[in-house]
Amino acid sequence: MTDRLIYLDNAATTFPKPPEVLREMVETYARIGASPGRGNHDLAAQAGAFVDGARARVARFFGAPDPTRVIFAANASDALNTVIQGLVRPGDHVVATRLDHNSVLRPLHHLAERGTITFDLAPFDERGFVDPDAIAALLRPNTRAVVMCHASNVLGTLQPVAEIARRCAERGVPLVVDAAQSAGQVPIDMAALGIAALAFTGHKALYGPSGIGGLVLMPGLEVETTRFGGTGMDSASLVHSQAYPLRLEVGTLNLMGVIGLALGIDFVAGLGLATLHDQEMGLLARLRDGLAAIPAVTLYCANDLAGHLPVLTANVAGVHPQDVGAILDGDFGIAVRVGVHCAPLVHRDLGTIERGAVRFSLGAFNTTDDIDRAIEAMRAIPHPGRP
Amino acid sequence: MAEPIRTRALRFVAGREVYFDTEGFFWDPDDWSDRAAEELARESGIERLDAVQWRVLRFLRAYYLDQGRAPLNRDLKAGTELSLVELERLFPQGIRLGARRLAGLPNPKTCLD
Repeated sequence: MTDRLIYLDNAATTFPKPPEVLREMVETYARIGASPGRGNHDLAAQAGAFVDGARARVARFFGAPDPTRVIFAANASDALNTVIQGLVRPGDHVVATRLDHNSVLRPLHHLAERGTITFDLAPFDERGFVDPDAIAALLRPNTRAVVMCHASNVLGTLQPVAEIARRCAERGVPLVVDAAQSAGQVPIDMAALGIAALAFTGHKALYGPSGIGGLVLMPGLEVETTRFGGTGMDSASLVHSQAYPLRLEVGTLNLMGVIGLALGIDFVAGLGLATLHDQEMGLLARLRDGLAAIPAVTLYCANDLAGHLPVLTANVAGVHPQDVGAILDGDFGIAVRVGVHCAPLVHRDLGTIERGAVRFSLGAFNTTDDIDRAIEAMRAIPHPGRP
Repeated sequence: MAEPIRTRALRFVAGREVYFDTEGFFWDPDDWSDRAAEELARESGIERLDAVQWRVLRFLRAYYLDQGRAPLNRDLKAGTELSLVELERLFPQGIRLGARRLAGLPNPKTCLD
């Protein structure tokens, strides 16, 4: 067993974080960690200015024109709740996909259970992609939005959001994209892609800390306030501030998280998204080839890695995936994610809902040696038919 | 898309009625007994639990009763003096559905999914 952890659970959260991000985050917070935008002392103004700068940084990174429409949130799930619940009205219809994470499915299910909305789910094909025609076929006159993942957190497949956005635009339906997995992995230009709203998290491929994410809105999409409280503005009024971004933010911001997010974006932008992605996809192909050569291993939707993120999901015949994960961790020092990955419908359609599967997900710090060790470890797992 | 509900079933095991969940884990870890472990082991293809298997089950139970949770993977290795590959081989149904279930520990499904 190696004496260092081989971390292949980067789709859950990237680890380790870049030391320079952590160091500078703490130093900056120690220097300006007042309540941003609250009070008239200079430190609060400095903190507020940092947050404004971070909004501009996020807007540029995602190709959105208006930094005031960058709303900070705790994570992508939080941002998705904000946009979904702030968009829909009683009687509305929403389209999502069977690839989606519970961060999309559960808010929709909750609203449907309450009788507020109805929703339909587009299927994915045998390669793990949603057909834009399937989305278009589900649109109704009362469809309020299409909400879907940019990339499956189970299969790693990047969905054709530009084409889907075009179909949505033809029907006047905004496309809300869950970019939890893709933000920081691939360039996202909301304006070019036609995305109306984008939910992202900072702790995955943006290499920031957990507890920070956000929602980016394009001009013209109005989202109602669904949580209310202090904003540091209009404090004499009992009405929640209605100007963006405060319209959708409540309480003191996670300033440390905002700092870390901005530094994380600088980190990935500095290295280059394409460089990082190519490096990780090269390693993923090596992993895929190595695992595919093990007869007991089943891979899901991984024959062709074009249009994929560095995520690979597998099972070992006759071995519970939780045992696979335990063996990889305990005997080989390899951290992976087992279970159904908060995406139950993907696993239902793959036929893995009962036990789940083993997900390998790569990050900026993985090496060829990590991959070779993971392949060897998978080869060593005992399974029925093997002594 | 109804939410899956964890259901339980009553079975007669080791001379008494005991609730098990859908994966065969004890609903209440306090219902576990040596006799019940032996009986469940036979169902899983182990005619008679040997000394090493018993050592694993005793360690798992003692750890759970002391700590209120299952051991970490590294603690499991250290406590049983076996690798997890060896543990997987030791029980026909593996670590989770074999060792852990036979030791009467709760189903870890809720915390690992």
